[in-house]
Amino acid sequence: MAVIDRNGPIANSWVHLADDAQPAKGQSVIVSFARLKNEHNSLFSASTAVGVEVVGDVVLEDLEPFLPRLGIIVVRMPNMRDGRIFSTGRLLREKYAYKGELRAIGDFIPDQARFLLRCGFDSFEVGDAFPVDSLKQAVATYSVWYQRATDRGATIIDQRTSGVS
Amino acid sequence: MYIYDKYDQTIARERVTEFTQQVKRRLAGELSEDQFRPLRLMNGLYLQLHAYMLRVAIPYGTLSAKQLRKLADIAEKYDRGYGHFTTRQNIQYNWIKLDQVPELLAELATVEMHANQTSGNCIRNVTADQFAGVAGDEVEDPRIVSEIIRQWSTFHPEFSFLPRKFKFAVTGAPKDRAAIQYHDIGIHIVKNEAGEIGYAVYVGGGMGRTPVVAPLINAFVPKAELLSYLEACLRVYNRYGRRDNIFKARIKILVRDLGPGEYKRQVEEEWQRIRGTGIDIPPEEEARIRSFFKPPQYETIAEPVHSFVEAQAKNRSFARWVETNVHPHKVPGYGAVTISLKPIGGIPGDASTDQMRAIADLAEKYSLSELRVTHVQNLVLPNVRQADLHAVWQRLREIGFAEANIGLVTDIIACPGLDYCSLANARSIPVSQRISERFADLDKQHHIGPLQIKISGCINACGHHHAGHIGILGVDKAGQEFYQLTLGGAGDETASIGQLLGPGFSSDDVVGAIEKVIDTYLGLREKPSETFIEAYRRVGPVPFKESLYGGH
Ligand code: SF4
Repeated sequence: MAVIDRNGPIANSWVHLADDAQPAKGQSVIVSFARLKNEHNSLFSASTAVGVEVVGDVVLEDLEPFLPRLGIIVVRMPNMRDGRIFSTGRLLREKYAYKGELRAIGDFIPDQARFLLRCGFDSFEVGDAFPVDSLKQAVATYSVWYQRATDRGATIIDQRTSGVS
Repeated sequence: MYIYDKYDQTIARERVTEFTQQVKRRLAGELSEDQFRPLRLMNGLYLQLHAYMLRVAIPYGTLSAKQLRKLADIAEKYDRGYGHFTTRQNIQYNWIKLDQVPELLAELATVEMHANQTSGNCIRNVTADQFAGVAGDEVEDPRIVSEIIRQWSTFHPEFSFLPRKFKFAVTGAPKDRAAIQYHDIGIHIVKNEAGEIGYAVYVGGGMGRTPVVAPLINAFVPKAELLSYLEACLRVYNRYGRRDNIFKARIKILVRDLGPGEYKRQVEEEWQRIRGTGIDIPPEEEARIRSFFKPPQYETIAEPVHSFVEAQAKNRSFARWVETNVHPHKVPGYGAVTISLKPIGGIPGDASTDQMRAIADLAEKYSLSELRVTHVQNLVLPNVRQADLHAVWQRLREIGFAEANIGLVTDIIACPGLDYCSLANARSIPVSQRISERFADLDKQHHIGPLQIKISGCINACGHHHAGHIGILGVDKAGQEFYQLTLGGAGDETASIGQLLGPGFSSDDVVGAIEKVIDTYLGLREKPSETFIEAYRRVGPVPFKESLYGGH
């Protein structure tokens, strides 16, 4: 298992906590959404940092009350065709103004990283066999894009209308 | 026509690089076939029965002579000397080798073409009225907004892995020549009472096994806010469209299950949140794109054009071709020519390298270098001076594309069917060829009048059989190819879904059954000007059932 961003491997202090395990002191833990809902008081009152793992069908309204206190949200892509993750990312960032780390996990391929980044994701949790170089290459392939998304960098339309070249 | 700027060119170039890498990674085994499939589909590459098929995008069906010439070259170099124009206004090549695709894409990019998003669960090539810009009844040229949507939807970071494919169609005229209500989103350009231009948005139409005529979701989206509205439409779908069952994954099922009212409410709520957040393009950009669709420099020509009138009087074949294949032009002295890619006994939509080159020549010489592809699988020379029509017709005769059958019984739409498609139950092309041969007599075709036959080789309905006045659906009956008939479908502004008549017919009997249906119509029409669809709507299916099944 490794955590990477657009440039390659990054340091990671988050651990996935099984529903029946207790956090060690000082540990930064990622818990299931069910557990977060049930145990948020005890989880947040411990000195640990707390994150949650969700899938694409998560009801964001239910997640909303916890957002200010979450250090990370991990969104699982159950298979590479399941594109709900992209809307989930954008909504978390743009509608709910979530500011913590947003990480993708699951069955995505390197070519999808570019879209995930544009939809507000920061990092990717991948298996050891994941072709990290292909991800870096895929992300670097495009220098421009047409449409506005979560990343607020200049779009082609911005560049055209401001005369920037 | 729209011309790429440096940004469009950069995207096109980077796309070729990306796909080249993807093919390499597939061939090296880094990508499994399962992982590669969505990537190649997003590039229009299908694995068919015998080889790869590549579908090249012809955005909103507009093509330059130079581009058509390139498509001819590609047919010669990478295929077997043929291309196949489709109901999505695209072109397909049926005999492509995977390792040659990167090179082929690079060639396409030299004429500002690509195969982006011609397949896969993403926003597909936008289709539009083939008479855009030349039809007299137009509120606005639909290609402007089509190009805006093309750019917005190209590699959209959020909407490239939708539950299912997503098709847009745009019409700028009250007469709907783009079948917009059979699309996931159909856009009708309208004017409100204040004289402002906006868009009526229909959502959730489609063919397939559950044909639906799309309901109107918003009667007037202001011009400047279309993209944010579409983004809201797509976001609701991307989140809540079904992903558990491929047959229920199209947006039509979501809209049906939620109910159009509730879908509209959810879209509205999302739209209110995202309006004015920079999704919509500024007016300068709209004006820039609009400038590419300015009318060309037409000559001032007084009508009637005598040579044209005389040629028709002298030559009955030419006159008849003018009647069916020349559409009125908004500028006096011009006409829009539909080139029939439906010669008797031919494969609907097929053109050879030589034919494509000849048509490109005609476009250059007589149509200001422009062409269109229609969703009925024909080509259009949109800007021909009436004085040149006779010469165009003569040249088309030489290449076998002067059939005076546009809108008539032999102007058939057929999907690839069992000859190519791995999903097919039955062959489509040979049935269309036999129907065409049965009704070859032009006098008879003109006597029958406007009639659209559409054939699909399976329930996926790529041949639009639901929207055919007569629809033919290939089914499998104990390992045999059978054909069911539907009557009364229409894909225009009076969109309706054809109704199944009864048990299917064998391959041997289906053409005879079609003939019976047509004879029944001829026997019951009130006057020659009552068209097949009008007569069917008046009398219903019963007389047709009686003649086919003996009334029991
Ligand atoms: S309708 Fe069926 S047979 Fe015809 S092209 Fe579509 S999937 Fe293939």
